[in-house]
Amino acid sequence: MNWIYVLDDAALLEGRMVPAYPIGVNVLLARVEGVVFAVSGRCAHMACPLFTGKLDGYTITCPCHDWQYDVRTGKFLDAPEIGLTNYSTKSEDGKVFVSLK
Amino acid sequence: MNAELRKKALHYFFEKIVEPLGFKFTLDVELMNFLLDQEVILENKHGIPFCPCQPLRHKRERDMQIVCPCIPFHRKHFDEIKRCWCGLFVHKDVLDPDTLPQLPPKDVNHA
Amino acid sequence: MKKVSMYTLSTCPWCRKTKNYFTQHNIPFTYIDYDLADEATQSRILDELDAAGATGFPFVKIDDEFIVGYLPDRYAKAIGI
Ligand code: FES
Repeated sequence: MNWIYVLDDAALLEGRMVPAYPIGVNVLLARVEGVVFAVSGRCAHMACPLFTGKLDGYTITCPCHDWQYDVRTGKFLDAPEIGLTNYSTKSEDGKVFVSLK
Repeated sequence: MNAELRKKALHYFFEKIVEPLGFKFTLDVELMNFLLDQEVILENKHGIPFCPCQPLRHKRERDMQIVCPCIPFHRKHFDEIKRCWCGLFVHKDVLDPDTLPQLPPKDVNHA
Repeated sequence: MKKVSMYTLSTCPWCRKTKNYFTQHNIPFTYIDYDLADEATQSRILDELDAAGATGFPFVKIDDEFIVGYLPDRYAKAIGI
């Protein structure tokens, strides 16, 4: 795995989402129950930026037309064939890393 | 925005969405163009490309279920009639969309 | 002659085909375009659609019978042609 530093662990609060752009890739980071998840940052519908949407439990809601995704898998709740790319994350020494593979 | 360009953009977004759901754009190009034209008009008016053949109820939760492509929210019905209500999308195996009757959900099983 | 009325959308191609069908068969009809109607009319139409299990347009009424969708065969049967 090729781990890329994205932000300091303390910068992402519980229940919050932030955008990050490791090597230019649009990624959405979210922390739920202490765990950091990473999925592609643009909605699978019409590419709206998801970080301005809502996070409720593990569910992300797109601000544009309310498509909902599970932040753990990236899957679109109304049709699992559709979804966001899901990236691995790890926290080490107070820093969060993402693998784009 | 230039309407022709916007139509192309909608086509690009929608194709990627309907493909994994087993649908494709209708082979009736005239119908496809007409429907996409209407969606661009609706998008200019409401900011959202709603279905041109279903009613806006002015209730967000309901209205978000008729944003194109609305297949995920009406899947059972559309799978049964092999197309979406307005006919912009048809099942991948459909070669002659004109032969598909536009049946509402209540009539599907006793057509 | 049977009384034909319909609810339609100005943006819906199937609604246009439906209107053409009745025009071509010389059958007079009235219609309301839902999207161009006022709020009170819209809510009355929605009640009728919901009661009939209709999710979209066109919605055609031939005397007391209603037909949802562009279905020429059913129109013909209902009018008796
Ligand atoms: S762009 Fe996200 S729901 Fe439409």
